[in-house]
Parts: sequence; C-alpha cells; structure tokens
Amino acid sequence: MSFNKLTLKFLRYLLIGVLVVLAGFPVYWMAATALSLNSELYGTGQVVWPQPQNFPELMLELGQVPIGLWLFNTLLIAAGGTVLSLTLGSLAGYALSRFRFHGKGVVGFLLFMTQVVPEALILVPLYAMFITFGLLNSLTGLVLANVGFSLPVACFVLKGAMDAVPYEIEESAIIDNCPRFSVLTMIILPLIMPSIAAAAVVAFFAGWNEFLFASTFLMDRGNWPASVGLASFVGQYETPMSAVMGAALVFSLPAIVFFLLIQRKIVAGLTAGAVKG
Amino acid sequence: MPALTFTNVSKTFGDNTVINAFSADIHDGEFLVLLGPSGCGKSTLLRMIAGLSDITSGDLLFNGDIANDWEPKKRGVAFVFQTYALYPHMTVRENIAFPLIMDAFRKWYHLPIVNIVARHRLMRRPDIAERTLRIAQQLELESLLDRRPASLSGGQRQRVALARALVRNPSLYLLDEPLSNLDAKLRTQMRSEISALHHKVGKTFVYVTHDQVEAMTMASRIIVMNKGIVQQVDTPDEIYDRPANTFVARFVGSPPMNLIAASVGDKGLKLSGKLAVEHGTALPSQREVTFGIRPEKLSLHAAGEGRLPARVTVVERLGAETVIGCRLLTGEDDQSGRLLETDLVFVRVSGNPKMQIGEPCSLDYRAEDVLWFDVDTGQRLS
Ligand SMILES: Nc1ncnc2c1ncn2[C@@H]1O[C@H](COP(=O)(O)OP(=O)(O)OP(=O)(O)O)[C@@H](O)[C@H]1O
Ligand SMILES: [Mg+2]
Repeated sequence: MSFNKLTLKFLRYLLIGVLVVLAGFPVYWMAATALSLNSELYGTGQVVWPQPQNFPELMLELGQVPIGLWLFNTLLIAAGGTVLSLTLGSLAGYALSRFRFHGKGVVGFLLFMTQVVPEALILVPLYAMFITFGLLNSLTGLVLANVGFSLPVACFVLKGAMDAVPYEIEESAIIDNCPRFSVLTMIILPLIMPSIAAAAVVAFFAGWNEFLFASTFLMDRGNWPASVGLASFVGQYETPMSAVMGAALVFSLPAIVFFLLIQRKIVAGLTAGAVKG
Repeated sequence: MPALTFTNVSKTFGDNTVINAFSADIHDGEFLVLLGPSGCGKSTLLRMIAGLSDITSGDLLFNGDIANDWEPKKRGVAFVFQTYALYPHMTVRENIAFPLIMDAFRKWYHLPIVNIVARHRLMRRPDIAERTLRIAQQLELESLLDRRPASLSGGQRQRVALARALVRNPSLYLLDEPLSNLDAKLRTQMRSEISALHHKVGKTFVYVTHDQVEAMTMASRIIVMNKGIVQQVDTPDEIYDRPANTFVARFVGSPPMNLIAASVGDKGLKLSGKLAVEHGTALPSQREVTFGIRPEKLSLHAAGEGRLPARVTVVERLGAETVIGCRLLTGEDDQSGRLLETDLVFVRVSGNPKMQIGEPCSLDYRAEDVLWFDVDTGQRLS
C-alpha cells in the first residue's frame, strides 16, 4: 500500500472517529449524569466519568415512578401508529401511484398540507373534537392523532417507491390471475420493503417521541407515555437530574433496538432483474 | 368461428395513432405471427388482446363476443412480456409456479399473512411441483430453479418468462418476442419447442417478432404491420412469394426483394430508365412501374451471357451460399465506380462463385418470377 493510500485511509478513519464522538457524546453524557448524585450535579459539580457505584441510588429513584408502564404505553402508541400508518399508507399510496381518479391532485395537496400545519395550531380544535368523540384520555385517540401526521409521510414514501415498480410486473401478475389486492400484498409490497422500513422508522419515532398531544390529551398518570412521564420529573422547585437522565436512557434503548432491527431492511436493490435493461 | 376478431380496432395515445383501423380474424388453434418493424404497434396490439390496454375505437371479439371491456382474467390468456416482467423477489421456481398457485388459490387464501402460508403449502403440492419442474426441464432451467431473476442472464430470464407462460393451460397464448435475447442455437431449439407445444396443445398462439426466420418457420399465418396499419395477412409462402406491396416485399426476405424502377414503352421494358430489356411475356399496362424480383430468382452469369449487364460491388460469403450485390450497367456512368450501395441488385447463389469486387458480370431472370408494383401506391399489380 502506498503512502498516499495510507494517509487517505488514516484521514478517513479520523473523520469517522470525530463523527462518532460527536454523535456519541450526548449519550455518554446522559449515562454519566444518570450515574452521578444530585448533590454533585447541583453542588460540587459533575464528575466526568460514570460512577457505577451510584447505580443502586439511581434504581431507587426510578423505582418511585411507573416507568415500565410508561414505556409500555409509549410502545403501544408507537407500534399502533406504525401499523396503522403503514396499512393505510400502502393502500392510499397504491391508489395514488396507480389509479387515475377525480380529485387525485386535491388528495395529494391535502396530504401535503398536514405537514405544513403546525401541531400546536390544531391542538385546541382536536381537543374539542376528542371531547365530542369521547377519545380524550385514551391511547386510541392519541394514536389516531399521531397517525394524522405520520400517515401522509408514509403514504408519500410508499407512493414514491411504488412509482418505481414497473407496471409490467403488476400486469404480469394480473395475467397470472392474481387479484388487485393480492398484487399489492404479494408483489408490490415485498418489492418496496426498504421504503416500508423507512416509513416504519418515521412513523415509529413520531409516535415514540410525541409529547404535545400526549401531554394535552392524557390526564391519567397511568396512561402517560414515557415522554410525558419524563417531563413530569421537572418540578417547580427541583429537578432530579440523574433520575431524568436515567429514565431517558431507559427510554432510548428500545428505540435503538428497533432501529437496529429494521435498518438492515433499508437497503435498496430488490427490483433489479425484474425487467430488461 | 374465429377465436379472435378485430373490427376496425384503433389505439391512440394522445394524438399519436399507434394502431389504425386494424381488422383481422385469428382462427382457432392457429399460430399467428405479428411481424413488423420496431414501433409499429405489435406490443400494443398484444396488450389490447390481453386486456391490459384499452381499445380506443373498434371492437375486439373473443369467439364472437365483444370483449373490449373484459377483465384480463376473463380472457384467460398467457402472456410473455417483451420485458420479461419476472417477479424479482421470487425464485425462478416460484416465478414459474405462480400462475398455477394463483389458479389453486381459494378466495380466503388472499388474506394477508394467510397468502404466505398458502403459497408455501401449494408450492409443495405434487402436481404443481411436478409441472413446474417439467417445464423448467423443457426450457433448460432446472439448475436455476432456486436463483432469483436478478442473478440470471438476459436469455435465462427470457426463458423463465416463457416457462411461466407455458406452464399454464390457457386458450390463448400471447408471446411478445419471446426469443429475442437467445443465442442462435438456443433460439432454434426453443423455436421447435414452441412449435411442438403448439401442435400438442392445439391452442391459438399470437406471436410477435421482427425476426422473419421465426415468422416464416413457425407461423400458420403472418400479419405484416407497418406504422399501425396491416399490410398483409397471409400464409408465410404467400407473403414471401406474393407480397401485397413493396413494404412487405422488402421487409420479408434477406436480402430483401430487389425493386428496380422500370418503364414500359412501345419498344418494351426499360430498367432504371435506360437499360432496355427483352422481357418476353406480357408487360403491365402502366408506363411507370416497379420491377421486383427475389435475389434467389436472379441468376449470375459471366459478362455478356445474361440480359442484364452488371458489375460486382459487394460479396457476402455466408458459407453455403453467397450474396452478391451488383450495380446494373445502364449505359452511363458505368466507370465512375460510385461507392454508394443504394440501388444495388442482390443475387443469392449457392456455393462460393469466386467473384471479385469490380468484376463485370451479367444477370438473368425468368419472366414469371417478376412481380410488378405500382410506383405511387406500392401495391402489387396483379
Ligand atoms: N403508454 C404509451 N404512451 C404513449 N405512446 C406509447 C405507449 N406505448 C406505446 N407507445 C407508442 O406506440 C408505438 C408502438 O409501440 P409498441 O410497443 O406497440 O411497438 P412494437 O411494435 O412492439 O415495437 P418493438 O418491436 O420495438 O417492441 C410506439 O411509437 C410507442 O412510442
Ligand atoms: Mg414490442
């Protein structure tokens, strides 16, 4: 290997190293803070290194809140929103991609508008609607509200992917006696797996991180997702910083696992070889 | 009753008329070849038969019933797409078995998740597995059964597409250039496989190609098209021996039929305006005509022995036969030795007659082998 190549390689690793540090530092700091004592944080100053000996203290603090239940609620909200967005999004995306119908442009425009309107703006009208429909204080209502925002994204992502699937594959399936609905489920959807995975990530994290709707619509402490629960640590007079960070760490782990599971699906190239050229 | 009837079928995309008042009958059990240059609307016609494209105007009849609006399913056709259209996420085996599996599906098998299990079970059903394997063997695909289309060569993909269509038992087979990507040997072999299958099943085949060898060898009848207009519908022999117009004459046959401008006067026939020829039999009544003769109907002679003096310009040795391109010597500019290869007259002779480029020679013909065409319309004069 020539000197130049070595230098290039070194520089490349250096750059990657810098990026890893930049991305990893907040996580590290979260862990370090979680394992600090509040007396240090608000008095003597934080120790830079994690202090594992403080782990029991952290557990004790976290034990005072139903963090397991909150996480479970978050999971329900995120998973429910993902399933609903993907199901409806693939149906709507297919219609937008393949069929010509009256009002197609309007539908596309309205879907786009949902992304333009800020959530805070429709909070109050939505609240009023939820009272009417009896959806207040229920996870179902919250999932529906979230899907209102993640469905259009899923729909656009999936429509774009379906546009790239050659018509002839579909026509070939129709000739082979495959009904429309099965063309979608057996032929199109498997072909756009990478985009489905991408849409799933968007929908899942939208639900996982959502705070505004959850904190407004859910009054029962038992219904709270972790995002609202976390915020409840912040008191008027004191904030147990290490507990917040500890809870935040627990809160991020399932999300990281979900992402790692699905990220390998986000690889393109499945359509290669379907048609000539 | 014909299996398929077209009455004035037209297809337009925007202002672009792709098929123009197409009328033809396709008989039950025949092997019909659609022959025409690229872009003349062959695939479009096939897609209309399959129900994949709407018919802009006119009627398409299946066994006497107007079928313009029938769903593809109701038509019961098998289709080989020009672009193959394989399912990329399925193995070759699953691709080939897919139509069989769909035929075996009950309604509720189509439910999500259920369909995965159902497909899996049906793949193992002995009759389906056996039929898949047999067609794969026939098309030399057994060793590829567990691969995916992306890892196959163009010719292999094409054979999978063919297998997927032939595995079924439809009443009508539509094949869009199914052999275009195969090498010469495999193509010959597949040609006879398809012909054999046609004889065995006795179903109607509509076969698109622009390869005239395929058309001549396989067809019971050929439809020659150009720019969306039917030029001639006839048996291969008729198409070859009695082309309806100059387009068909030049499109079918390689090298194409020689077409020479001719004028008929009081003193007899003149070719290329000047070369007077003693024709013998009766001449057409029109003054300006086109004189057409197949290259193999011309005979090559030493200079002075034939009626048409000429000079050798091109020699193509094909092994068993030789194609010689000559320029007729019409009196003027004989010596100029133009390099332009237009207006060449081609002669096909067997063996290798050791001709040199530039050598003078002469050609001769039998009067009954000549076809006359109208100069303006290009139609053959009877
Ligand atoms: N969806 C479409 N929209 C607009 N024009 C089209 C469409 N499909 C085909 N055409 C046009 O119709 C004409 C005929 O196309 P077609 O595919 O039938 O040709 P073909 O005879 O099959 O040619 P080839 O031998 O190259 O396959 C072409 O000029 C093409 O540009
Ligand atoms: Mg075509």
